[in-house]
Amino acid sequence: MDQATSDGEQAIALRKPPVPKPLSALQRYGLAVFSVAVAVGIALLLQRFHFRAAEVPLLLLAVAISAWYGGAGASALAYVLSCASFDFFFTEPLYSFYIEASEIPYFIVFALFAVLITWFAAVRRQAEAQLRQARDDLEVEVAERTQQASLLNLTHDTIFVRDINGAITYWNRGAEELYGWTPEQAIGKQAHQLLQTVFPAPLAEIRDELFRSGRWDGELKKTRADGSQVVVASRWSLRRDEQGRPSAILETNNDITERERREREIRLLNEELAKRTAQLETSNKELEAFAYSVSHDLRAPLRHMAGFSELLQKNSASALNERSQRYVVLILESARRMGNLIDDLLAFSRIGRVEAHKTVVSLGQIVEEALTEIRRDTGDRNIVWTVGKLPTCFGDRSMLRLALVNLISNAAKFTRTRSPAEIEIGCINEEPDQLVLFIRDNGVGFDMKYVNKLFGVFQRLHPTEAFEGTGIGLATVQRIAHRHGGRAWAEGLVDKGATFYFSLSKSSEFTI
Amino acid sequence: MSAIGRILLVEDDPNDVELTLTALEEYHLANEVVVTRDGAEALDYLYRRGAYASRANGSPAVLLLDLKLPKVDGLEVLQQIKSDDKLKMIPVVVLTSSREERDMVASYRLGVNAYVVKPVDFHEFVNAIRELGVFWAIINEPPPGSIKKD
Repeated sequence: MDQATSDGEQAIALRKPPVPKPLSALQRYGLAVFSVAVAVGIALLLQRFHFRAAEVPLLLLAVAISAWYGGAGASALAYVLSCASFDFFFTEPLYSFYIEASEIPYFIVFALFAVLITWFAAVRRQAEAQLRQARDDLEVEVAERTQQASLLNLTHDTIFVRDINGAITYWNRGAEELYGWTPEQAIGKQAHQLLQTVFPAPLAEIRDELFRSGRWDGELKKTRADGSQVVVASRWSLRRDEQGRPSAILETNNDITERERREREIRLLNEELAKRTAQLETSNKELEAFAYSVSHDLRAPLRHMAGFSELLQKNSASALNERSQRYVVLILESARRMGNLIDDLLAFSRIGRVEAHKTVVSLGQIVEEALTEIRRDTGDRNIVWTVGKLPTCFGDRSMLRLALVNLISNAAKFTRTRSPAEIEIGCINEEPDQLVLFIRDNGVGFDMKYVNKLFGVFQRLHPTEAFEGTGIGLATVQRIAHRHGGRAWAEGLVDKGATFYFSLSKSSEFTI
Repeated sequence: MSAIGRILLVEDDPNDVELTLTALEEYHLANEVVVTRDGAEALDYLYRRGAYASRANGSPAVLLLDLKLPKVDGLEVLQQIKSDDKLKMIPVVVLTSSREERDMVASYRLGVNAYVVKPVDFHEFVNAIRELGVFWAIINEPPPGSIKKD
């Protein structure tokens, strides 16, 4: 920047011609005296050689020189001195200042000549001063423009000016960088032809708006020197001359090719997303319809199987032998198990389908409720419960309750062989964004080899005879954890108990 | 227990009809049960038209209504009953296999009097039906105009 500016200043200084110094008063009046003296001297010399009547033009010349270079004052002095010298040296009686009345018009004409010459000199001086002033103004303007032009070169924006016929008159460095043409190549060319501009509307409309409001902006497609296309955000400003006629158009362009491309990409991605969302919604609806139908239609036959088996047991007990009666019992048990399976599966699928209702939830209270529910089933068993301090969190209350009931009843179930069973429920609140609940028991534990299978649907690590269950409980827990921005995992050892962890996001922003 | 109200059972599944009637039989309520097999037939009964055009006047003491029904489904029947001034006093109990929340919400929105999920377990099923029958047909005092057998 500094370089550019000083270059400009230097150029201006070089072009400036030397201004003539005005003469001092002494010089001016000295000039008057000197020129008259020289004129008189020459005239006297000429007289000696018998050249007559040379004194008047010579003295007029002296007055003229004084007026020309010395101004009005010098001219007046020269006049007075000329008159005195003329009277003294050249009119009868010689060498006396006596003036005859008949000579007076002679002096008046001489005076008029002197005035005329002085006036001419004054006019010339004035014209010269005006000219100089105009030249100075012009220089200042040139300097300003040069500076502005060099400033315009500094901007990253592409700026060029074209005259009203479309020919480029200014082309900044940004334009050179964007389009690849140097100012020398571009200036004088038709802008729209050079850049192969593609307009979003008919050019006539654009011009109408430009001439009406003085401005226009829009997106244009242009072609670079290398033939590649660019999309630019273009702003046009109309410049008018003093009479208000449009004289030039300043065009500023910003390359938005990349932005345009990204916008197009985003648009495409959004469309894709909308499509996928629609697909997902459709499949979600189908899933819901499926679950609804399972809920209605799969239970009914089960109920009938159970119902009629029971009626058979009741009404025909005497007709059935022991083995057949056992079959009926097995049918009943299977029906019951299938009923539980359906219920659990529906609950599991509901976790994924239903909208969560996020509220502030007291985990302590939920654990209390879960314990009440579970203690009903554990009845007289010897269980030592240790419940730590539990915080409140943000989530879906019924989902969190279901997860905790599942985890705690699991602990109760797999400690059935222990007396006393020890179950500890607590919370690790160490991470800034995650809450981790744990449920530790001293039950039968599990082999860490199978830890991956624990949370899968229908995955069981124990035979049904030992520990009943559908194999859906932990899958449900995992799904609830996911919907709360967390996860579920476990650690265990065969016969040494297990610890189940359940984490959830502390932020209320997570989507569930 | 001087009077037994008439029970209108709306159920398309013959097995469910049989199990329900078996459960009601134990309290000798089965004789007072009218079974309709779909929503349209139930409405025919209530409005005394079609096959029921010649039946005696009077509304049932309670309507046991399944939700998944051919032709006109349970929710539509419920809506029809509760939006009709002459019928809306009849107590309606939805008796369904589904535990789906949206069914329950929809039923209560329409003004159902009770919502019962049929238990898979037969004992529980029998208990549920029996209690329903006893409560609505015997204990509950039905609205005026209901059919009662002294």
